[in-house]
Amino acid sequence: MSSELKPFNRRLFLRGALATSLVPVAGVLAACASPGGDEPKGTSTNGAKSAENPFGLAANTEVDAVIFNGGYGYDYVTFAGGLAEAKHSGTKIKVQPSTEIAQELQPRFVGGNPPDLINNGGAGKISLSTIVDQLETLDDVLDATNYGGTKIADSLYPGVKLPGTFNGKFVALNYVMTVFSLWHSASLFEENGWTPPKTWAEAKDLGAKAKAKGKYLFVFGKEAANYYQWTMVDSAIKEGGHEVRLALENLAPKAWSHPAVQGVLKEIHDIVRAGYIVPGGAGTQFTAAQAKWSNDQQALLYSSGGWIENEMKKATKAGFRMTGVPVPTLSTSPALPFEALRAAAGEPFIVPAKGKSPAGGKEVLRAMLSNEAAANFSKTRLAPTIVKGTVPADGYGSTALVSQTKMLEAAGQHIFDFVSEGYYGMGADQLVLWNSFLAGDLDVAAMTKGLQSVSDKIANDSSIQKIKVS
Amino acid sequence: MLGGRRAAKRRGRLTFDRVSFMAVFLVLPLAIFAIFVISPFVQALYYAMTDWTGFSPDMRFIGLENFVKLFGDDVFLRALLNNVVLAIVVPIVTIVLALAIASMVTVGGPSTGTVRGLRGSGFYRIVSFFPYTVPAIAIGLIWAQVYDPSRGLLNGLLAGVGLDGFADFPWLGRATTALPASIFVIVWGFVGFYTVLFVAAIKGIPAETYEAARLDGAGRLRTVFSITIPQIRDSVRTAYVYLGIIALDAFIYMQALNPTGGPEYSTLTMSQQLYMVAFRKGQFGYATAMGVVLAVVTLMFAAIVFLADRLTGGRADGKERT
Repeated sequence: MSSELKPFNRRLFLRGALATSLVPVAGVLAACASPGGDEPKGTSTNGAKSAENPFGLAANTEVDAVIFNGGYGYDYVTFAGGLAEAKHSGTKIKVQPSTEIAQELQPRFVGGNPPDLINNGGAGKISLSTIVDQLETLDDVLDATNYGGTKIADSLYPGVKLPGTFNGKFVALNYVMTVFSLWHSASLFEENGWTPPKTWAEAKDLGAKAKAKGKYLFVFGKEAANYYQWTMVDSAIKEGGHEVRLALENLAPKAWSHPAVQGVLKEIHDIVRAGYIVPGGAGTQFTAAQAKWSNDQQALLYSSGGWIENEMKKATKAGFRMTGVPVPTLSTSPALPFEALRAAAGEPFIVPAKGKSPAGGKEVLRAMLSNEAAANFSKTRLAPTIVKGTVPADGYGSTALVSQTKMLEAAGQHIFDFVSEGYYGMGADQLVLWNSFLAGDLDVAAMTKGLQSVSDKIANDSSIQKIKVS
Repeated sequence: MLGGRRAAKRRGRLTFDRVSFMAVFLVLPLAIFAIFVISPFVQALYYAMTDWTGFSPDMRFIGLENFVKLFGDDVFLRALLNNVVLAIVVPIVTIVLALAIASMVTVGGPSTGTVRGLRGSGFYRIVSFFPYTVPAIAIGLIWAQVYDPSRGLLNGLLAGVGLDGFADFPWLGRATTALPASIFVIVWGFVGFYTVLFVAAIKGIPAETYEAARLDGAGRLRTVFSITIPQIRDSVRTAYVYLGIIALDAFIYMQALNPTGGPEYSTLTMSQQLYMVAFRKGQFGYATAMGVVLAVVTLMFAAIVFLADRLTGGRADGKERT
């Protein structure tokens, strides 16, 4: 060591290193968005209410909407905003896209200046249980009339309030009708003389047929392995009826040990063991995995929600007639029929009570629920909204959209939903388990134990506000 | 005497020069340090003892409840363990590799003539530095693609040379390989920088020392252990602490390689868990408690490295060697 200055420099260096490492570590949460001393004041301005202006939107209001920019984009809200602006001259609707809702809006919630309308979607959504007390109830939106003069509540599918109602408070309006099912290419199945499986036994037969062709039954990706939890849970609910659903939703002890759940888990485990799942899923990015189904046709079936067509638009083989079918049943005499379906209004929109203009947020929702905006959404996004009668019979040329409408009609009264996973944010922990289970590293017993402990952790944590699902 | 008093007087007088000097070089940095380092730290300590959700200005003081919950939380403890493994393995592997390369390109050349590196050592030095110029997130994303089971470069190469067992092998999807594969990426990203650091340090050792050792019959390996390492000990210690701190965070690499925490949480780090609990689950108080633990672990790590260095004969920080 020749230089005398070196040790000194190094010391400074080290201290800098220590300091810079500690600041972000401990300080970042506090530094970025700590509650200030000022009590946020409710600055909401209101005009007079009337039939034309049911929420009392003040003149010349600037409405601030933050929309999750995911599978459905955000410009459909801009479109609806345009309708609202035309209806209330002087009003300006500012629509901003975001891909990280929770991260971006957290400081605004703490500061007491949240936006007027939020589409709380994506992996980075706000866990609703933390903000449910700060939201406007949206009953008055459904009581208002739409831009065509019909009462909005009468223009919607039944049950759309349910997924947005927590402990009796209707706080989230879910805009898109989302169907959860298994998806396949009707054209590929026709070519090979295959039929979509109605029971797990048929699914295993189909797996053998696929293997003979050098293909697989299912494929999964590492960020979306828990999509197969939907398949599993839906099938178990159909087998055991609503008692299975309520036990899981209300975090009952031993809920995952119910015979129906165990039966379906075992069937899936058999499929894993038989090698009917594309190998390597736990190390594959999920859209790449999905492309193995939609583009390479390496796998026959994929478990997903109705957004799959839009999501894979650019990675779908030409002539791939994407079609959804309900998930298989365990036995031939399940408690709910094969046609029973998990379908719910998805894509929640919320109106924070402390925003500058909650009335403005509601007015944008009213515009979105107009026939014109809903038709625009279905046409451009190929997904049904909660507004009835806005999808024509040809589904704008989309086989997936047509099959969703058909499944909904066939299911009739047997439509159910599953909310606890999203409400408590359990998906991330369940995902880890599903990756291992589908890779064949966990057996049914270990999987059951894992899933149960995720539920129990929430159930036993007194700091988490629970909901009662019925 | 007289001079001394005059000096004392001069010291006491507050001229504009002295005041402005103090303001710029003492008060200002101290204020910045207090506002941006100390105060968030104190705030964080407080939030760690509340049940703050992060989305409302309301919070309740709950004492040490979060910390009790933390040490019963198997997922967090797993993350803590992963971080400890990272903090041990990443620095050792990186430093050994970097030292080996640095020795080769500086003193590992032909054993006749002047002490010098291998032929083309300048080229190796530059190439080994390349990964460091790529942003961490890009490194993570690139390697996530390389490790892709069916389309990745790695399995393509392995299957190409006849190792068919590796076709479709999920490097990041197996609990046994996910962490080693992630460690490799971090090491790959940093080895070049520490090579350059060690090269600079080795250049500071007089060439005569190496020549004398060579005349005495010391081989290359002996030279490394008996001359290079003792002479650049301080640099190695600095590198160790630095790399350890990087490994205790490792957020960017792990988030890019396995955003979900890896199979059976095998690559989950404390910072990832902190992020998830804060933003996904809306438990900011709990997350802040994790941050406090992470800070304590980091401090302990630095203390252990300094202590180990002192015990094994390193000199005290700041004292000149005579």
